Amino acid sequence: MLQEYLPVLIFIIVGLGLGVALLGVGSIVSPHRPDKQKNSPYECGFGEFESARIPFDVRFYLVAILFIIFDLETAFFFPWALALTEIGWFGLLAMGLFLGLLVIGFIFEWKKGALEWE
Amino acid sequence: MIMGLLEELPAFAWILIKIVAILIPLLLGVAYLTFAERKVIGYIQGRIGPNRVGFRGMLQPFADIIKLVFKEIIIPVRSNRYLFFVAPIFTLTPALIAWAAIPFAPNLILANINAGVLYVFAMSSIAVYGILIAGWASNSKYAMFGALRSAAQTISYEISMGFALVGVLIAAGSMNFQDIILAQQGSLLNWFFIPLLPLFMVFWISGIAETNRAPFDLAEGESEIVAGFHVEYSGVSFALFFLAEYASMILISFLLAILFLGGWLSPFEGIPGLDEWFAWVPGLAWMLLKVSFFLFAYLWLRATFPRYRYDQLMRLGWKVLIPTTIVWIPVVAVLVKLNVGPWFS
Amino acid sequence: MGIIDFIFYVSAALVLGSATVVVTSRNPVRSALALVLTFLASASIWMLAYAEFLALILILVYVGAVMTLFLFVIMMLDIDVVTTRQRFVRYAPLVIAMGVILTGLLLLALKPDYFVFAHLQSAVDYGLSYSNTAELGKILYTEYVLAFEVAAVLLLVAIIAAVSLAHRKPRDCKTQQPVAQMMVDPKQRIRLVKPERK
Repeated sequence: MLQEYLPVLIFIIVGLGLGVALLGVGSIVSPHRPDKQKNSPYECGFGEFESARIPFDVRFYLVAILFIIFDLETAFFFPWALALTEIGWFGLLAMGLFLGLLVIGFIFEWKKGALEWE
Repeated sequence: MIMGLLEELPAFAWILIKIVAILIPLLLGVAYLTFAERKVIGYIQGRIGPNRVGFRGMLQPFADIIKLVFKEIIIPVRSNRYLFFVAPIFTLTPALIAWAAIPFAPNLILANINAGVLYVFAMSSIAVYGILIAGWASNSKYAMFGALRSAAQTISYEISMGFALVGVLIAAGSMNFQDIILAQQGSLLNWFFIPLLPLFMVFWISGIAETNRAPFDLAEGESEIVAGFHVEYSGVSFALFFLAEYASMILISFLLAILFLGGWLSPFEGIPGLDEWFAWVPGLAWMLLKVSFFLFAYLWLRATFPRYRYDQLMRLGWKVLIPTTIVWIPVVAVLVKLNVGPWFS
Repeated sequence: MGIIDFIFYVSAALVLGSATVVVTSRNPVRSALALVLTFLASASIWMLAYAEFLALILILVYVGAVMTLFLFVIMMLDIDVVTTRQRFVRYAPLVIAMGVILTGLLLLALKPDYFVFAHLQSAVDYGLSYSNTAELGKILYTEYVLAFEVAAVLLLVAIIAAVSLAHRKPRDCKTQQPVAQMMVDPKQRIRLVKPERK
């Protein structure tokens, strides 16, 4: 199994190397003429007047938390999908219960309005 | 130890050659996809598109590359210099390394791993870092908004994408890409897009949203947040984001072709007469044909549909696509259990 | 020493090094990114132990989801670096004491002879056709089905808790109802009248 993952590892190193090399070439051959206006953060024609790092709508955190939960559920689905033919109707019903609980949670957040955006 | 490594050297060199053989066509594909995009959208809108550099503009992508390389890389004063500089690498690398597990033709695959689908899915889930880091390190309002929007969008659609993948895994009973393609053997009717039609649509839509392409390109939204998370980027560092976006577009097209349209399988398989007629066409050609269709669809959709609003986008992801997959996964599971033909018998 | 040992030592060094950066770095974003590297290097160690599925799930769930949330929170809250540093110094003795106690408890629970290498079995390579994930599936949904369903209940509790804690009622603003918009019948909105000719 590991010999199949060796190319993956080398690919990761090559991928990182390609990014570094391209950036390196770019920063060597490109001109470098700093300028106060050019290097200031982009705004619509005026100087910026506050830091861009402002606290954000809690909704984005909620999306991220719900994403973690659903991602975990996906992780449980993967082995089940592969073993489905061998675990019989029992395994199917086990996942049915799991999915049922997930759907209850999903309906809960839907009804609470956690999926609404304005 | 060094002796041990030296003995492996020929094997390493061979793997490196294979990697280069994947990367160079991929990068050329990216270059000509940008060209095709400008041409196709140009013709759809009744324009000609680029036609000055080379024969009918064929050298345009190279002109663009040379231009971008020689442009200054601006690093804004109030940014976090190091993170700002490395963020493009965080975006590009995940988009490239997913290609390690993609089969191009029978046995033409770099790493034939058992958990291929999971590997590609895991790698595409890392891509969100480049966006977040770029947006945050720029320390610019538009970049921050863009990064936040695009991160929330990417993760929302990743769920429906994962669920759609589960459907394919149930149908194929394997996570190995070659096995998944071979499970669709027989004829055109055996391809998974028929029994998994809802999941096919979900995966397609989520794939477009995952790559932040029109009509789901809110992260870029020129008219409101100028270009999103990469406003502050210029020169090569901007080019890397571009490269990553187009490489993942091609990746999504490959995934669609492999998972739902039978990968390298001929569409005339099992039809007496036509099957023999087209027997000389290599698998790679069928694969690339299917991939080109999805790539063209990307451009076609961009030229046709207006951009979504953010609440519509989130609604589509959470309230339409996810419920669809939750309904269809049990349906597929029962179909497989009951050996419903012609797909699962 | 073969190539596998080499990869193992590099990954192990990465895990330890980046974990140290997580604790010592002053910049919270850098800590979070170092934690990402720790997870990636751990995934490579798990892969060396033939735990294919778990290694990829570690990347998918921890790197792809959990750390994304961490980064979201850290980046958006704009944590004050100086005060965190003061707190770090103030709580350092407590942290060290906790570390000592935890290590002691672990040693008590595991008994020193657990760490003798002779007890360890190295993982077995079952070859290419063996799917780690499918084998896991075969026991997870039959033998360990209770634990699996308990996990489902925990996830349900997590959904309810997250929604109750983080969700606020929409502020006083007008939202569009896309469903209502789509269900509109043109006949209700527009009435075509033929003007009478006089």
